[in-house]
Amino acid sequence: MLEILRNMWRRKFRTILTIFGIVIGIFAFTVMGSMALKLNKMIDGGKRYITGQITISPKGADYMSGTTGMLPVDLLNKIKDVEGVEAVEGGVSLAVDEPDPDNPTAMSFGEPATIYSFDPNSNFKNKNWQTMDMKEGKLIDKSSAEDDISIGINIAMDKKWSVGDTVAIRGREFHVVGIFEKTMTGPDGYVFMNTNVARELFVGQNPFLKSLKDKSNEAAKISEKELAKLPVATRQQIVEAKSFKVEDVSTTASISWEDGVDPEVVVKRIKDEYKNDVIVYSPKEMGELIDKASATMNAVILGSALLALIVGLFSIVNTMLMSVSERTREIGIKKAIGASPRTIAIEYTLEAGVMGLVGGAIGMGVGVLVANIINNKMASKGAEIFLLEPSFLIIVVIFSFIIGIVAGFLPAIRASKLNVVDAIREL
Amino acid sequence: MNKIVFEAKNIHKSYRMSKRNIVQALSGVDIEVRQGDFVAIVGPSGCGKSTLMHILGLLDRPDEGILKIDGQDLSHLKEKKAYRIRAKKIGFIFQGFNLIPTLTAFENVLLAGKYGGMKLIDRKERATELLAILGLEDRMHHKPNELSGGQQQRVAIARALVNNPSLILADEPTGELDSKTSLEIMSILKKLNKDENKTFMIVTHNLEVAKECRRIVKMEDGRIVADSMRK
Repeated sequence: MLEILRNMWRRKFRTILTIFGIVIGIFAFTVMGSMALKLNKMIDGGKRYITGQITISPKGADYMSGTTGMLPVDLLNKIKDVEGVEAVEGGVSLAVDEPDPDNPTAMSFGEPATIYSFDPNSNFKNKNWQTMDMKEGKLIDKSSAEDDISIGINIAMDKKWSVGDTVAIRGREFHVVGIFEKTMTGPDGYVFMNTNVARELFVGQNPFLKSLKDKSNEAAKISEKELAKLPVATRQQIVEAKSFKVEDVSTTASISWEDGVDPEVVVKRIKDEYKNDVIVYSPKEMGELIDKASATMNAVILGSALLALIVGLFSIVNTMLMSVSERTREIGIKKAIGASPRTIAIEYTLEAGVMGLVGGAIGMGVGVLVANIINNKMASKGAEIFLLEPSFLIIVVIFSFIIGIVAGFLPAIRASKLNVVDAIREL
Repeated sequence: MNKIVFEAKNIHKSYRMSKRNIVQALSGVDIEVRQGDFVAIVGPSGCGKSTLMHILGLLDRPDEGILKIDGQDLSHLKEKKAYRIRAKKIGFIFQGFNLIPTLTAFENVLLAGKYGGMKLIDRKERATELLAILGLEDRMHHKPNELSGGQQQRVAIARALVNNPSLILADEPTGELDSKTSLEIMSILKKLNKDENKTFMIVTHNLEVAKECRRIVKMEDGRIVADSMRK
């Protein structure tokens, strides 16, 4: 081993440059890989949730793009009667923060803090995600007041909210009763809020719904006697306005199926019966959709990192080939005094492996450092973008050693096959 | 009479330099080397001395002929197996010392012992002993570039001896040394031959070196033309 290190150090500058190539490759691999791990963890959490229920959205709305429509409560009640359906829970989701009027299109990395409606009285239970582990306090339940909320850890950190605090969301005061354990996925950035209150906030932020509600409130003030005196057309408008109910405001609904029932069969039944009213997302379809998106994303992220790594690999190949050519004389001597071709091959392969290992360890170290710095900065905003798993980091270092071994293989074989007499004639 | 440690019969070797140019380096060489021999192979450049040394040292294979070390027929030995015999039975001393530059004198000797299959403790003991015999006990942990030419060649001698080989082949061992150091090196080899009955075959074109040997084999045009014992 000492000889390997000495040989590496013979051409210091060249060795440093070669190792630098590996450092860059492994740095990219560590950072990109950790980013992919984080995204995968988030996606896995989302997938776990979404495949634990049947999700429906109004026809004409696109669940994936967020285009909204409404699911009236009467419709949801009818779907509840479909064979195999256990429970249906309509709800809304909206951003915690109101858009910045000076910069309405501002984007942030990661999922923005989101309010999810939560109905403690609903029988709906996601098959894969039945409860939240709490870091502190409790998840809102039947005994909670309407203004009680439970929040994700990222929101708690970003907004510095604690259990017992009274906080303002979209101009209304709420009482924080619980903070979830870190999940590394969606719920870290969620506020779980009573469905009725969430609907009111949702209506308040939507100009169209708000005007409907205002009209409804105005119409409610008109008595039946006064209504009878009005012209038919006006009367019809007022009756329509009166029919608006906040509980009809659901942008999506989650459906759970009865135990022992195939959810795909339930999906088919809902599709057959309500194909003109709702779009149905089956757990299987959603899982496949997520897998496809995840695979593409991983390929792009890891592909770019691998590209950097391949450049590093070729720099080792080049260095080792030069080294073999420079040390032909030495290889000849070693073979003359009894070194076997295998011994020579192992020596050169190990030298390349050590080069990969040193570059890998440094690259991984720098990657971890950079990822930690960025994570710490982003943590306050609840948007850590790297997941540094020890097992992944160990794999990165082992991988860099293997890369070195692979890169050193060809030069090592060349060295081991050198003809002793030819090598000695170079003396 | 001492036992034969090395035997070569009717050795032929040719090199194809180009399509039409084939050089006959050795044409039917016969030679026997006995335990304790101190042989000089002399002759003009291109007479086949080095080729003979390469073949005797199992660094190259003859086209034809029989080669035996300690009675073992090695004529058809493949390179893949030759290194084992080379490591244990043959020691090499080269003109340019040819020590591994990144290793100390001690480590250079140890390396040959390692290739020869010696245990670490044994080779450490043997290397220390040999370097001490050769007067290098205080230079053991110096690298070749910190040693004089004569000291480097003494390290090379220790390296050649570490596995206690049957035959030590020396190719112009004094070629890069001044006359005083050359005499020193030759006297070391002679002493090892006399005191430890080591067998040496020295390839040289230096007649002063050859005169130090008890037996002189003269080569010309790939053949042995004279083989005489000095009185």
